[in-house]
Amino acid sequence: MSLVVRNLQRAVPLRRARLRRDVELLRRIAGIERFDLGLACVDNRRMQRLNAAYRRTDEPTDVLSFPFYEGPRLEAGKLSSMSRELPRDELNLGDVVLGVQYIMDMVMAPCVESSREDFYGALTVITLHGICHLLGYRHDTHEQWTEMFQKEKYILSEFNRLTGGQLEPLTGRDAS
Amino acid sequence: MLKSLSHIVSAAARLSAASSFRVLEPAVRSRLICAPASATIRPFTRSLWMMSKSGGHGGPGLLAASGRVPPVSCGCGGLHTEGDKAFVEFLSDEIKEEKKIQKSASLPKMSGGWDIELNGTEAKLIRAVGGENVTITFNINNSIPPTFDEEPEPGQKADENEPEIVSTPNFVVEVTKPASKHSLVFDCHYPEDETGRGDGEEESDIFAIREVSFQPVGESDWKETSYTLNTDSLDWALYDHMMDFLADRGVDNTFADELVELSTALEHQEYIKFLENLSSFVKCQ
Repeated sequence: MSLVVRNLQRAVPLRRARLRRDVELLRRIAGIERFDLGLACVDNRRMQRLNAAYRRTDEPTDVLSFPFYEGPRLEAGKLSSMSRELPRDELNLGDVVLGVQYIMDMVMAPCVESSREDFYGALTVITLHGICHLLGYRHDTHEQWTEMFQKEKYILSEFNRLTGGQLEPLTGRDAS
Repeated sequence: MLKSLSHIVSAAARLSAASSFRVLEPAVRSRLICAPASATIRPFTRSLWMMSKSGGHGGPGLLAASGRVPPVSCGCGGLHTEGDKAFVEFLSDEIKEEKKIQKSASLPKMSGGWDIELNGTEAKLIRAVGGENVTITFNINNSIPPTFDEEPEPGQKADENEPEIVSTPNFVVEVTKPASKHSLVFDCHYPEDETGRGDGEEESDIFAIREVSFQPVGESDWKETSYTLNTDSLDWALYDHMMDFLADRGVDNTFADELVELSTALEHQEYIKFLENLSSFVKCQ
């Protein structure tokens, strides 16, 4: 139902309304507007702490997903089709934590010619990757990777069609 | 979340401990007059009773002490007691300690070209942005959130565990456009779990808007008849636009952090000033 954006960092100036607009569109295309979703923007320090605590990897990263559901309900793609069956208080996907400082550093790398527009594009692609994990998609095996790539590709192609953007799936970049 | 709950439980325990002490006090006093009926409090009442007797060790007893010290006068017309002398000595040590930990005698500068005006405990930050005037007002009184005692880690001294005192005042942002008779006023605050303690459990924004209202330009009192938008039940999209509106005028997370530093320094400065005034008052200078 609602998308809650929290900006918990001061390293990168962030347009909350712009981020919300893009993520609302992703939600609509993915058919998950009925679900609550939390989006927290953090700096490298906090991302590293979270990554160390939950993935035992002591370094910052771009995105971490904290799904509301676990087990059979988190089978890839199953959750979005269940939105009409679930009671109101269970219409929750969970939280996506965005390492906005990490993403900014990645986009604005010295060898890359980029702009603020690229930064928001990267935020959209990476947020979608996080949302797909909340929906149960994974990329541990080649089959899983293909399934996740197809999902991200479909949603981004619709996003590009509606906005005139040229965004590509994050899963695709990993494979290349 | 668990940490917050434990804070609440700890606060409740502190409150109940304090209230039971207050209840106990008159009960003990009454037993000093009447014969003690309970064996559990007898040793306590007896020792107090003995201390109050002047014959025991020849010196003044605890309960009679205040009646036996003659007041001293320095000609200022005020009273000077041994207690006052001890109080001044204590204050002198306290002032020395506070000055030692004071980071700088001058206040930290805010980035972004803000001018500062001080009036006692109230501070105003003023900035012109593209024809608009932006004014931030805050008061350092009651701006330090309560801290809760936490058990020191093994091998850690109790003093080392003391949390740093940080002032997180509510602040009002007033945006005035040249052609308008009304200012757009945002009542902002620092949510409780984001007070610089750095425990990593924060989930709220660094600062948040509580209320928004239009107020007549140049009037210091809040006009209650103006419609006030409470953000508790606000559409999140509208809230995000308001946060972006403030960020465009220099009120963002970096500003909020610098405001905490400024307010903490100002609060400390005023605290030291208060201690010095208190010392002078007690000394009658």
